[in-house]
Amino acid sequence: MPRTVLIVDDHAGFRRQARRVLEAEGYEVVGEATTGAAGIAAASELRPDVVLLDVHLPDANGFDIVSRVLAPTVVLISTHDRQDYAELISRSGARGFLSKDQLCGATLEALVAEA
Amino acid sequence: MSDLKAVLNAALDCVVMMDHEGRIVGINPAAERTFAIKEDEARGREMADIIIPPTLREAHRRGLQRLLEGGEPHVLDRRIEVTAQRADGSLVPVELTITKLDIEGPPLFVGYLRDIGDRIESEEALRRSRMQLLRATDEARRRLERDLHDGAQQRLVGLALTLRLARAQVEQNPAAAIALLDEAQEDLASATEELRELARGLHPAVLTDGGLGPALRGLIARLPLEVAVTGVPDSRLPIDVESTAYFVVAEALTNVARYAGTQRALVELRLDDHRLAIEVRDHGRGGADMGAGTGLRGLAARVAVHDGMLSVASPPGEGTTVHVEVPCGS
Repeated sequence: MPRTVLIVDDHAGFRRQARRVLEAEGYEVVGEATTGAAGIAAASELRPDVVLLDVHLPDANGFDIVSRVLAPTVVLISTHDRQDYAELISRSGARGFLSKDQLCGATLEALVAEA
Repeated sequence: MSDLKAVLNAALDCVVMMDHEGRIVGINPAAERTFAIKEDEARGREMADIIIPPTLREAHRRGLQRLLEGGEPHVLDRRIEVTAQRADGSLVPVELTITKLDIEGPPLFVGYLRDIGDRIESEEALRRSRMQLLRATDEARRRLERDLHDGAQQRLVGLALTLRLARAQVEQNPAAAIALLDEAQEDLASATEELRELARGLHPAVLTDGGLGPALRGLIARLPLEVAVTGVPDSRLPIDVESTAYFVVAEALTNVARYAGTQRALVELRLDDHRLAIEVRDHGRGGADMGAGTGLRGLAARVAVHDGMLSVASPPGEGTTVHVEVPCGS
């Protein structure tokens, strides 16, 4: 059974791209949300395996809402690099962090498998 | 004695003489002006009652008492800053030195005082304007980071993902791969254009290379406005003056495009002997607020660095006029 993914990001272009990349690699994108609040609600409702959570959302800071996003694996995403946020990432409780340009099935799978 | 009187009369600083009982023996005209009291009214009265604010009087009396009893002087012959009081009770910050005259009999004290209200005020104004400049710089950096993040960086992320998809399709579905590569090329073109736009916003290359005229015409060509420009100087001005003039016009016109509800604006430049005047006018809805956006405030701080001035008139319903004058020493 393919892994299900919820994308929480306010940039429509990125959501579209990420969906294409993930679907091409056998993931099922079950939902998209554009704000932190909508992301928290969608995660509770859809119960995806993985949530991609943008760190800069219009209504929230991704780091602060990781614990309220209900999913086995929450991965923070950003156009910035891991080094930019190292301390915030480790404090956030997220499973991991992906620079958006690094998004692909293999890197995502590696994060999921770390459980 | 009349020589001494002449010396005291001509002094710019206030001179106040006090006897060992704390009574005023004489004051010079500068002191009369600063403390708004005539020498005749002051003479013979206790100095504490006249030029020392009530909260400091007790300390003054104790200090004098201690000194007369042979105590170590705390305030003699050194510069101190303190608050004094005028005859009407208003306060005035002063710097002063007090010296004890070495004469026969009971000692005589002479205080030299200078009103430093103006200096303190201009120091504060300077500090405020430096803070404003710092804030404007920080704000500009934040805006740059946001613009980079929301613009070119997003495009490049998209580009990376599209290329990855294309790479995966190359063998099995070449047609799809080609479509993706076309898309990647468009993303790249957009990223390039956004970076150009950003670079122009930072400092347009045409301003450095060609001066104010070409830079302003380039700016106006990219704005969704019909703008008439007059009085562009024929010669080059100091580069910092050109930059300030450019950013004033750019900010003012951007505000017209965003808020004024009109598509027309007027830019008038006038170069006098040593001064560039810049005026940007529109007949839109007016009601612009200097405090609302940091754009104009940042510019005001920038103009202030040139010892220039920026004013905004924006009565509701009657359009907005931004007027700037910058000395340019050319």
